[in-house]
Amino acid sequence: ELALSRRYLLCEVVSEDPRCRQCIEDRAVGLAVRDAIERVHGDYGLACCSISLTVKYLNAYTGTVLLRCRKDFYRLLCSALPFVRQLESRNQRYPCSLRTLHVGGTIRTCQKFLIQYNRRQLLMLLQNCTNEEERRCIQKSLLSCSLTEEQPQSGDEEDDDGIE
Amino acid sequence: ARPAGSMETPEVPAATYERRVVRSGAEHHYLRVRLELPDGGARPSVAQFKQLVVSALRELHGEVGAALPVDVLTYEEKTLSAILRVISSGLVKLWSALTLLGFYQNRRCAFRVLQTSPFLLALSGNSRELVLD
Repeated sequence: ELALSRRYLLCEVVSEDPRCRQCIEDRAVGLAVRDAIERVHGDYGLACCSISLTVKYLNAYTGTVLLRCRKDFYRLLCSALPFVRQLESRNQRYPCSLRTLHVGGTIRTCQKFLIQYNRRQLLMLLQNCTNEEERRCIQKSLLSCSLTEEQPQSGDEEDDDGIE
Repeated sequence: ARPAGSMETPEVPAATYERRVVRSGAEHHYLRVRLELPDGGARPSVAQFKQLVVSALRELHGEVGAALPVDVLTYEEKTLSAILRVISSGLVKLWSALTLLGFYQNRRCAFRVLQTSPFLLALSGNSRELVLD
């Protein structure tokens, strides 16, 4: 009767090496997170979290990652994220760290938070702009960000993907 | 009217008592364990024994498990039995890690938990191994 409760963790990949962006893909991030959970919480922790662990959304340009896990074990996942040290993909590995931005119960709440967060980030970038060209680009982006309401979906709302 | 000078029995105060129920329990739990090594090889020393316990915790519960405050209070190399002390919140992690440990230096082994109690004194007697004359 009770719905399968999940928790969605919105994270940001922080890296000093710009080449790390090319490693930001679901398989690499998923493996890095699983490896960190195994190191910190052992076989039991890995087994618990793996039940429903997936990378739901990924944006390599901003380094945003949305992870999903069971509600009962999200603390195991949360506490293991600071132990992610590198991303590895195609035999290349680069050091990085994961910053947790938001924990939500549905994708929609994380989406709303991400939009506000990105808007604030753009404003900060606007303040630090050096030339007029960049300024105009950023202003255009700021004015155009919004949450588009897709046609009402039947069933679960997990397929909502209207981030601009 | 009371006759003057008669002694009234003084009121006996009702018995008072205070009842305290402690749900949090004891801080530590004690386990008497025995390591079974069926092959007749070299027996681990006390340091190797503790290393075995911590590595069992690390396998099952990761670095968090390995960091649990576990102490080996006594160890008998001859019988491979020991008394372990662990913080109460870590009892389940320790017991499950000992249960699932299968190998010591590539030799088959098993941990048997003989007694457990939040009080060390309770481990001094064991009615299971009591011999009645």
